[in-house]
Amino acid sequence: MSGVISERRVVSTILLVLTAGLVLSTFGLQFADLGGAFSPMFFPRIILFILLGLAVANVVIDGLAATDGQPIELLPVVIIGAAFMGYVLLLIPLGYFISSTLVGVVILVALGLRNPVQVLGVPLAASGGLVALFNHVLKMPLPTSPFFWWI
Amino acid sequence: MLQSLPEAMGLIFTFEGMMVLTLGTMLGIILGALPGIGSTVAVAMILPFTLTMSQAPAILLLLAIYAGSVYGGSISAILINTPGTPQSAATCFDGYPMAQRGEAGKALGWATIASVIGGLTSAVVLIFAAPQLAAFALNFGPIETFTLILLGLTCIVSVSEGSLIKGLIAGFIGLFLSTVGGDPITGEARFTFGNFQLIAGFNLLAVVIGVFALSEVLTRAAASRDDAAPLVDFNGIVLPKLHEWKGRVKGLVKSVLIGNGIGILPGTGAATAAFISYAEARRSAPTRANFGKGEPDGLIASEAANNAVTGGALVPTMALGIPGDAITAVMLATLTLHGVTPGIRLMTENPVLMAAIFSGFFVINLMLLPLGMLVSRMAAPILRIKEAYMLVMITLLCTVGVYFVRGNPFDLLVMAIAGVIGFILRRQGYPMAPLVIGMVLGPTLEISLRQGLIITDGSFTAFFVGHPIAGVLAVAAVGMLLLPVFRALRPAKAA
Repeated sequence: MSGVISERRVVSTILLVLTAGLVLSTFGLQFADLGGAFSPMFFPRIILFILLGLAVANVVIDGLAATDGQPIELLPVVIIGAAFMGYVLLLIPLGYFISSTLVGVVILVALGLRNPVQVLGVPLAASGGLVALFNHVLKMPLPTSPFFWWI
Repeated sequence: MLQSLPEAMGLIFTFEGMMVLTLGTMLGIILGALPGIGSTVAVAMILPFTLTMSQAPAILLLLAIYAGSVYGGSISAILINTPGTPQSAATCFDGYPMAQRGEAGKALGWATIASVIGGLTSAVVLIFAAPQLAAFALNFGPIETFTLILLGLTCIVSVSEGSLIKGLIAGFIGLFLSTVGGDPITGEARFTFGNFQLIAGFNLLAVVIGVFALSEVLTRAAASRDDAAPLVDFNGIVLPKLHEWKGRVKGLVKSVLIGNGIGILPGTGAATAAFISYAEARRSAPTRANFGKGEPDGLIASEAANNAVTGGALVPTMALGIPGDAITAVMLATLTLHGVTPGIRLMTENPVLMAAIFSGFFVINLMLLPLGMLVSRMAAPILRIKEAYMLVMITLLCTVGVYFVRGNPFDLLVMAIAGVIGFILRRQGYPMAPLVIGMVLGPTLEISLRQGLIITDGSFTAFFVGHPIAGVLAVAAVGMLLLPVFRALRPAKAA
């Protein structure tokens, strides 16, 4: 990104908009009207108003500052970020062993590894080792795999 | 607390106790040596292993990981010119040049002795200062507690590297996140937006692991890889001979004092202490011309100071329940998981546990010498492991840690989202330590403020009129906030 729109300015603007939205939401929520320090919104409102002031100052500062920092390798970040989300959503239905092996494979491939022995072997060994350690040594069962419930 | 020492020794000098201290210190050294993991992530990664342990061994294991990892950072700083932890960044300046000229063993020898001396003195400071501080704070009411927490929060200013405003934003985001869930006085749900999972609030460790560990995985994935210097030849630690210490003891003492002093201050941290100590040694040492070219005095300054911080940083954490930095914030959260609430009453209510923790911390620092010599030989080949493998292990272990805290899959989702948001914010210069400190201190700040206002009939000025301690603490808090302004003005004045 370049020119007026930069990554930094987008992030500071999103922070400002989110904070303003949260400040407004505190006026829409319904609570028992106890007033003053008894009100559940008393403390959050103080925090959010200060945060709003800081967010405004931040937008101004970032608006004046020279734009952007170091370019990054976006593809591995997007793949690994998506893999995190998929991992935590699949952990319970697929169990720890399968989902951990899958996320391990995705991370290694995203980071450029292509040797199939390494790409499969390391995640298998890591997740298998952790399952063995927690399920059998420490007796703290991890979520069970439907296909590998016996390990 | 001294009366409880024999009973505390009975907890430490058992087979289980010694195994925990030995293995914990060894593991801490290895994790600290691995670049990218750092002390905070190391403590978070080990957390699930402690959940089946009883209180004392579990806490001692976490302390061993903490102290071991701070020392372990020097191994990679010296051998591959990449600090394993931020605390060891100043160690690279003279450690790696020494290693390049074939003195890697000697460099690690200086670093080990300096670390052990720094760590031992900080343990003594912890043992004597924490009970005194706790005794002083025993009579604190909600108003004093509020100003104390306010003072603790000002450490956000110190831990905000780069932009102060971004540090404050991160801190206030942390404070806001702590308000999500049930109201502590009325019990009504706030900011849950219909999601019943949020009624209990955000799991602190899920957020911490997300913003530190998972965001680090993404940061490493985004950066160009394999930029570390090649591993130099290393055949074990060579301890410096007694006559080689001639002329260096004064510098060592100064560095130890700097580390201990800075450690007790909230928020300053081991990395700052190491740099201040290094700068002071460079200014005052007779060998200053050799600094940056492989001068042992530089190594001693950095390593003695960063290990001297460890015990000091635990003083406000254990005595008042106020963490000074991200590592002690994570320590605080893990202690709470083990049913230990650090703070004013802990010293009087559980003196045996406190004596065990304090004396155990001394033993851990003592063990750094033999274990450092042993483990550094094992850690050196580990530094050759592909970074990608480490990132996989960090991801899998962190998931285990978050899962075991409450067994709630929602926490895993929070961790993943915190990881992605943490990566985006860190990339734009928002430090994550203030966010964690805000989240840890938020609940106590809110309760003490609201209780104080209820006591004073809503008068905020009455907070300071009849409460001199609160007044002094508030002035100190304002002073801490204004410190960066004075710092910024000073060079301008000089120019």
